[in-house]
Amino acid sequence: MLRKKMMTLALCITLLASVLTACGGGNNDKGQSGSNGEGTTDSFNSTDNPYKDPMTITLGFWDADAEIANIEKDPIAKQVLEKFKITLKPVNMTWDDYTQKIQMWAASGQLPDIFAIDAVGTQYQRKWVEQGVVKALPELSKYPNLAKYFESPDIKGLGVDGKYYTVPRRMFPSVDWSALDRMVFYRWDLAQKVGITKEPETWEEFEAMLDAIVKADPEGKRITGLTTTTTKMLGGFFWLYGNPVATSDGSGSDFKWIKEDGKFIPAVFSKNALPALQNMKNMYEKGLIDPDIALVKPAESYDNFVAGKAAALLSGGGYINLNGDMYEKRWKTAYPDKDMTESVKALKPLIGPDGERSHAIFKTYWSESYFSNKVDDKKMDRIMALYDYVLSTEGKDLLTYGIEGVDYKIENGQKVVIEKGSLNEKYPASRFLKNLVAYETSDSYNMDNPTIANESIRQDAVDYIDWIQNNTKVPEYDIRLTYMSTPTKDKFTVLDHDDLLKIMLSKEPVESYWNNILNDYKAKGLDKMIEEVNAKAKEQGIE
Amino acid sequence: MADSVTARTPKRSLRTLAPKQSLGKTILQYKYFYLMVLPVLIWYALFSYAPMYGVTLAFKSFNYSKGILGSPWIGLENFQTLLTDPDFRRAFWNTVIISLMKLITHFPMPIILAIVLYEFSRTKMKRFFQTILTFPHFISWVVLSGIIINILSKDGIYNQIIMLFGGDPNSPLVDESAFRPVLYITHVWREIGWDSIIYLAALAGINPELFEAAEVDGANRFRRLLNIAWPGLKSTVAVLLILQVGQLLTQGSSFEQIFNLYSSPVYSVADTIDTYIYRTSFTIGSDFGYTTAVGVVKSIISLILLWAANTFAKKMGEEGLY
Repeated sequence: MLRKKMMTLALCITLLASVLTACGGGNNDKGQSGSNGEGTTDSFNSTDNPYKDPMTITLGFWDADAEIANIEKDPIAKQVLEKFKITLKPVNMTWDDYTQKIQMWAASGQLPDIFAIDAVGTQYQRKWVEQGVVKALPELSKYPNLAKYFESPDIKGLGVDGKYYTVPRRMFPSVDWSALDRMVFYRWDLAQKVGITKEPETWEEFEAMLDAIVKADPEGKRITGLTTTTTKMLGGFFWLYGNPVATSDGSGSDFKWIKEDGKFIPAVFSKNALPALQNMKNMYEKGLIDPDIALVKPAESYDNFVAGKAAALLSGGGYINLNGDMYEKRWKTAYPDKDMTESVKALKPLIGPDGERSHAIFKTYWSESYFSNKVDDKKMDRIMALYDYVLSTEGKDLLTYGIEGVDYKIENGQKVVIEKGSLNEKYPASRFLKNLVAYETSDSYNMDNPTIANESIRQDAVDYIDWIQNNTKVPEYDIRLTYMSTPTKDKFTVLDHDDLLKIMLSKEPVESYWNNILNDYKAKGLDKMIEEVNAKAKEQGIE
Repeated sequence: MADSVTARTPKRSLRTLAPKQSLGKTILQYKYFYLMVLPVLIWYALFSYAPMYGVTLAFKSFNYSKGILGSPWIGLENFQTLLTDPDFRRAFWNTVIISLMKLITHFPMPIILAIVLYEFSRTKMKRFFQTILTFPHFISWVVLSGIIINILSKDGIYNQIIMLFGGDPNSPLVDESAFRPVLYITHVWREIGWDSIIYLAALAGINPELFEAAEVDGANRFRRLLNIAWPGLKSTVAVLLILQVGQLLTQGSSFEQIFNLYSSPVYSVADTIDTYIYRTSFTIGSDFGYTTAVGVVKSIISLILLWAANTFAKKMGEEGLY
């Protein structure tokens, strides 16, 4: 009897212990820790080839599971990772949850070796650097392509006490290219149906076109005017009416500063703000903006635009997303016989009240790679080597154009595409591997580059950016003030898209509502922040 | 009252009959029962009580590299910041208003529904309505909010009806004056059926002979409800009221519901403590210590409300929770 009882007791304890062990397991994969013990180290071979030992690197990237699973189907991506004996292990995050997940991982010491986020200028990013959550990059002279990459002014400006803690994902070679990242596309076919014969160049002409389409509703779909894929983009368009420096990427921390009445202030709070807000409100009240704009979702907005339920669409990602989200996913199925470029036009920056054609202004990069402080020097060296290779001409060409002789050939010093199909389908992980380091979106705006598979769209894209570079100019502002750290500024956010939406939908007059918003910002320390920034700018000799 | 006295009697007799012995001996005597309860205790200790050390964060400035325990103490600084933060004040009052209004608009509804369903003589119809009304409880707010947004959008049925009567289309979801009523109505719609189940169970527990006797004595339907059904329900209502008040600031201002339905034009009337903590922690990225302080304030208020409701129930002659 006693034996039976002892057995029962022992079983219960064993069961409990195994449950607790399982609970405690969590994400602690010893294989990913900084003091990694991956692979067998052969000192002789290691000296011959520094990347001989296999190494597992954990990676937190958007939809990392699916992206890394594609590597198996992609001979080029496999080849690149094999070169550095790297196996990528996904730590999944999505576009909906990445900020939350990364902050939780940072707080609980569970960050993956590499992770991607758009955090420059945020409070938490500053703390990660100050408190040693992220690892500083090693001396870059060993990695020539990376070192060159860091020569770009707004990337160089990210250094903290002579060290870099992040590799930003560069998109464009200059700020002029930001025009691509907040674009308005409109239904030119519907405009023509209602008698519009000239593409709009001024705000008045654009409004007149929307008004004509909405009133005539040529397809009987109760069409609305301008809609957007996400409300975060609103500032990227409406500030262009005379206050373009106020455009921001929606993070709340990238606001730019201008000098007004002898002192630096955030451009959002300039005297030019009110006319821009009034213009937006007028458009809303005239029924030229989607009444459901506050509740939009990306997929639905694309659907509505393609289905002819919205006359214009404000979206991000330029022609690359136009090609992917609009043409590939929707248009070619909905209208197989209709050339999209004949029916959908991109709105060229409109002539504003100041007589200027302004476009959105952002940084030349969007989002950054960070490296956990648990990554040891050996692993960091391997990561840097991979990044350096992806940025090299050889790496870029391989991941963009495919294999020479198979996918492209060189004729008269130019790359000529042999493979006419989509390279994204043939090499499903190459773009991801390239994006891991830098988007280099601007490379796609070239007729030799197959990223935008539809050639008519590619031609439009090339023409558009050429036009932008010849016809627009970037207004003056000093990026150093955006990056500047002061006690109040570090905690200050300007979510201007929320403010724009409130003003648009409010029943109050624009001026009084804007004053309320200003007072809210003042209560949060706006004046103090302006004082601090001006004092520090003076100290640093910024005029 | 008589019932409760009889219910307590066996406990007393057990207590008097049980020989006095030390705790250790009692544990040894009932060791298998204690062993069975051990995993539950461990679970609570590990997952409910141990993490409560995190509350100390409200008095600290969170440092990523030092963790919760190693972060430096800053006294009441987070609470001082909180008192001067206009966004927190707005979120606090929104939480109180939305929670109380939900309590007022929702709490009586399941009771009324339970009584109406109880009075339904046709069993099939009763089951039909009960199923229909209980069903929305099982759909998540993410899905429900999609349905609600479609109904209330420009092309939705709500605006089509408005336009039919010559009105201007507008979405109540972006209208400061209409957003809260949408919250109350959709909350009742989702929960009324589910919440009525417990009252239906209480009604089912009443001896039917009492109703029959009252009917024989000439009591009409209303009298029977007032003198038989209501006294049978009263104690259940009191317990559930206490529970609801205790959860007022959390479930009352349901995070999922508001988070999925709101947008910046209605933050002024819809941003509650929970949505505020979420936005400041993850979108804006404020100090975790500060947001913990916000959470602590909310818990203290919940505790006070729970205590007040329990005291009130006891003063009304009901049992209360403790």
